Amino acid sequence: MRISFFKYSLSIVLLSLFLASNIFAQEQDLSNYRMRFRFKSIKQPDGSRILEASFVATNKKDRKDRVPVYEADINFLNVLGEEKVPLGASKTSKEGIARITLPEDQYYLKDEEGRITLMALFKGTEELDGEEEEISIKDIHLDLGLIEKDSIKTVQVKAHTLDSLGVQIPVEETDIIISVEGMLSKMIIDEGTIEEGGYEFEMPIGLPGDVNGNITVYAIIEDHDDYGDVVQKNTESWGILNEQHKEDENTLWSEAAPIWMYVVLTILLVGIWANFVYTGIHLFKIKKEGEELELKTENE
Amino acid sequence: MGLLSGATTVAGATLLANLASEEELQASGEKIRVLTPDGKMVEVDAESINNYPEAHITPAESRKGIPDRKFVMVIDLAKCKNARNCVESCQKAHNLDYNEEFMKVQLIQDHEEAEPYWFPKPCYHCDEPPCVTVCPTGATFKRDDGIVLIDNDRCIGCKFCITSCPYSARQFNWSHKPKFDDTSQPYSPETSIPGTEGTVMKCDFCPDMLRQGKLPYCASSCPMGVIYFGDKNEDMVTNGEETVRFSELINDRGGYRHLEHLGTKPNVYYLPAVNRQFPLERGFDVEEDIIERYKDVPFVQDLKSQGKI
Amino acid sequence: MNVDSRKRELVKEFSPMLLKSTKWSKIWIGILVGFVLWGLAAFVIQVVKGHEVTGMRDNVVWGIYIINFIFFVCLSYSGAFISGILHFFKTPWKNSISRIVEIITVVSLIIGPIFILLCIGRLDRLHYLFLYPRIQSPITWDIIAIITDLIGCFIYLYLTFIPDFAILRDNSEDVPEWRRKLYTFLAIGYRDTPTQRNRLHKITRIMSAMIIALAIVAYTVLAWIFSLTLQPGWNSTIFAPYFIVAGLYSGVGVIIIAMYLIRKYFKLDHYIRKVHFIGAGVILLVISLLFGYFTFSEYFSRWFSHKTHDADLLNTLFNKYFWEFIFANYIGVLVPIVILFFKRFRTIKSITFAAVIAVLGLWLNRYLIVVPTLETPYLPIQDTRPEFIHYSATWIEWALSFAGIAAFVLFFILIMRLVPIIPMSGIIDYEREGKGGTYSVTQYQLK
Ligand code: SF4
Ligand code: SF4
Repeated sequence: MRISFFKYSLSIVLLSLFLASNIFAQEQDLSNYRMRFRFKSIKQPDGSRILEASFVATNKKDRKDRVPVYEADINFLNVLGEEKVPLGASKTSKEGIARITLPEDQYYLKDEEGRITLMALFKGTEELDGEEEEISIKDIHLDLGLIEKDSIKTVQVKAHTLDSLGVQIPVEETDIIISVEGMLSKMIIDEGTIEEGGYEFEMPIGLPGDVNGNITVYAIIEDHDDYGDVVQKNTESWGILNEQHKEDENTLWSEAAPIWMYVVLTILLVGIWANFVYTGIHLFKIKKEGEELELKTENE
Repeated sequence: MGLLSGATTVAGATLLANLASEEELQASGEKIRVLTPDGKMVEVDAESINNYPEAHITPAESRKGIPDRKFVMVIDLAKCKNARNCVESCQKAHNLDYNEEFMKVQLIQDHEEAEPYWFPKPCYHCDEPPCVTVCPTGATFKRDDGIVLIDNDRCIGCKFCITSCPYSARQFNWSHKPKFDDTSQPYSPETSIPGTEGTVMKCDFCPDMLRQGKLPYCASSCPMGVIYFGDKNEDMVTNGEETVRFSELINDRGGYRHLEHLGTKPNVYYLPAVNRQFPLERGFDVEEDIIERYKDVPFVQDLKSQGKI
Repeated sequence: MNVDSRKRELVKEFSPMLLKSTKWSKIWIGILVGFVLWGLAAFVIQVVKGHEVTGMRDNVVWGIYIINFIFFVCLSYSGAFISGILHFFKTPWKNSISRIVEIITVVSLIIGPIFILLCIGRLDRLHYLFLYPRIQSPITWDIIAIITDLIGCFIYLYLTFIPDFAILRDNSEDVPEWRRKLYTFLAIGYRDTPTQRNRLHKITRIMSAMIIALAIVAYTVLAWIFSLTLQPGWNSTIFAPYFIVAGLYSGVGVIIIAMYLIRKYFKLDHYIRKVHFIGAGVILLVISLLFGYFTFSEYFSRWFSHKTHDADLLNTLFNKYFWEFIFANYIGVLVPIVILFFKRFRTIKSITFAAVIAVLGLWLNRYLIVVPTLETPYLPIQDTRPEFIHYSATWIEWALSFAGIAAFVLFFILIMRLVPIIPMSGIIDYEREGKGGTYSVTQYQLK
């Protein structure tokens, strides 16, 4: 009992020593690190908007040495002049990322040009300085059409913004990436520039798509000064249905063996065991004969 | 105890749960460094490393495979410089010891005239796998998505599969190891952890990651983007940076399968080591012990005699 | 001739073998038991510490256990084969040695599979073989074959024992009570009436044919465990017949050794005579020629066509395993051939010597089939741990191997104490058929 108690307390002491040393060993001078605070907005296909702030410390000398800031409170605000409307708050994850999603019908304060100014704010603690980052974007409406023009499968992108009066203004000179969705990643099929509110190109042929032959195409504007990140997608059954691979039923490597194997094995085993049984029957007969003989001798 | 409480105050109350719970400390050996708002750097359990109990796939479920998929890997030998990140990340994820490697990097020389090349070698997840054919209990099996797995709850350790695999992809657990006792995570053939004494293990193509839509550890960790992985039904493979069409990659770059003549029909393809991006010597920037492995390759002997390594 | 009194005579003649134990036999048994215990200790260590205590590692996952397994099982099959042939064709001088052969058959078939069990990582899951069988696996075939064969051999052995049990039962006035009861039970009321005798002869004959077929099937399956894989040294179409010939080679060798030892220790010079040795020697000669021929074709075709991986294997064989190769495939074949070929070399001692060489050579031949192949995989072994590159058996494996041999001898002795090593019923049958000439003389008649 005493020994186990001793062991127990010893292990606790050791554990705490281990933990403590671990922590103190990690305590490094923060002056070697530069804090990076980034903020972006991503407009989703369903019209909702993600606000994402990333908060990471990077070593000034060793750029690969990145330490995410964990559990920092980040506030997201909508700013217009002096007016600040809170949109939500979130804590950074272990990757140093704080994220909120705003619905499509979210009301934003806009300036005359239709710009929305958003801000991510870290108030700061005793140890870490406060950080804030502002972006100012226009709400862009991106349409992605998958249409057949003269039986040529065509991807058609249309983009416009609205001014304060609700008039559509075509988007100009904006780079766009078109990709198709895969299980693990998106494959880029084209990169181009939106001119006069539109961009068009021919869909490459021979893409299989998913099981049902559906292809999901994405149009993505990435990190644009005026629009932030914008994603739009559309699905069409344009896939060349490739024959789905099915494992054969009766093979050497499937669960069930080729039929002939069962047949041959059964024949062999039945044949052999019939023999054993036959032998057994005869042995039994010998035994009976012996018993009869014994009875006879006894009777005599 | 004083030290412990001291440590926790330093670490901040929110981290208390992570640090004080001994169980969780053992749960995943994987740690990442983070900075707390108090300006302290601490290590916490990395969330992403196999900590998905809700996604637990039982041995029975793991026999079916991910529906309508057919996984393939393409390894671009022209880009490999023996960085060994694939080996190490795989070892970490599968809780393997130093010498236990599901992914091996070999130094292969095709013939006398050819310069050797680095040759990362996982299990090939053959379409006609001899290892599965010979297993007497069905402990190793071929799934509909092309992956060959081992259920180490069922394996009797006859080792027949090891002798049948022409690519030496399988390894045996020769003795009990303390790490096998870790039951914090239920066993699944899809994660291959925890291991079991007297059974076989090998590369599993990380189906647990695939189910989350993520790349296998080897593919995502390679700094050179050597390893492409994807679904052949979709005709797309990706190395995490670029996504390309599988058929185009294979046809344009002369993709081949190792020892094709054996008829095992591997699902791992190689792109030949032509127009290499790195000189072979770059690969010798590794531990002494690992260089020692290649001592039988004439090229290495030359390098040694010239005193280059 | 009075059959009953003749039986009594025979029982009297053989009962010292069954009942008395001399000082030497006790010592011998003691030594054998010692070996078995040593093996058991090794086994316990292996179970507790895992297979790490063996020399096997990831490349060479099968070591001398599997070699012993093949060796013993092939002993058994060749025993069955030979004894089946002796019975089926009513070979004239079979009587003196048929029981030796039968006992070898059964005992080695018990010992052999134990070795495969030693090779299995999870003995506690052995029943999975029946819970989740996959009939594509050669191991499954092998298990079915071994079990069927074991049952067949037991039935067959028992059939040949029945008449002797009956004789012993009828003439066991001065033996312990338990023995008489045992004999009575085992003799199942066999009274040697003409109907019973005919019946027994008929089924024995059928079973002897059955045993031959079983032996061929079972040994073929064993060879297939190797030859159905893709490994360069194993994937060979002639492996099945090669293994059968090899099995016969070692089988006849062991039979000759057993004949020699039994003749010597039980002073059975009148039953086991030189003519038996010469007969067995000639058979060994024929088989050694065949075996040499198979070995030659196997390696010659690999050497001649020298596909890369075959060439690598031969390279390993001729460099790392040079002396083993010479001993197994030159000395182990040529020396017996030379001894047995020339009539004047054919003495009992030299024939036994040839047999010993043959058996050792064959064991090594099996070793060279299993280990170098595993040390030369398709993808070169690139490792720094010596035990992963080169296999060498540890004391645990040797202890268990010797324990296997000791257990083999021990079982043999035990069965010999139950029934005479020379079938009495056979002697009587022989005399009854009126051929009581040269070979059936007993010590009694000589006196
Ligand atoms: S590489 Fe080996 S272990 Fe993997 S599937 Fe093929 S035969 Fe089986
Ligand atoms: S070692 Fe396990 S997985 Fe391999 S064949 Fe035997 S039972 Fe199957």
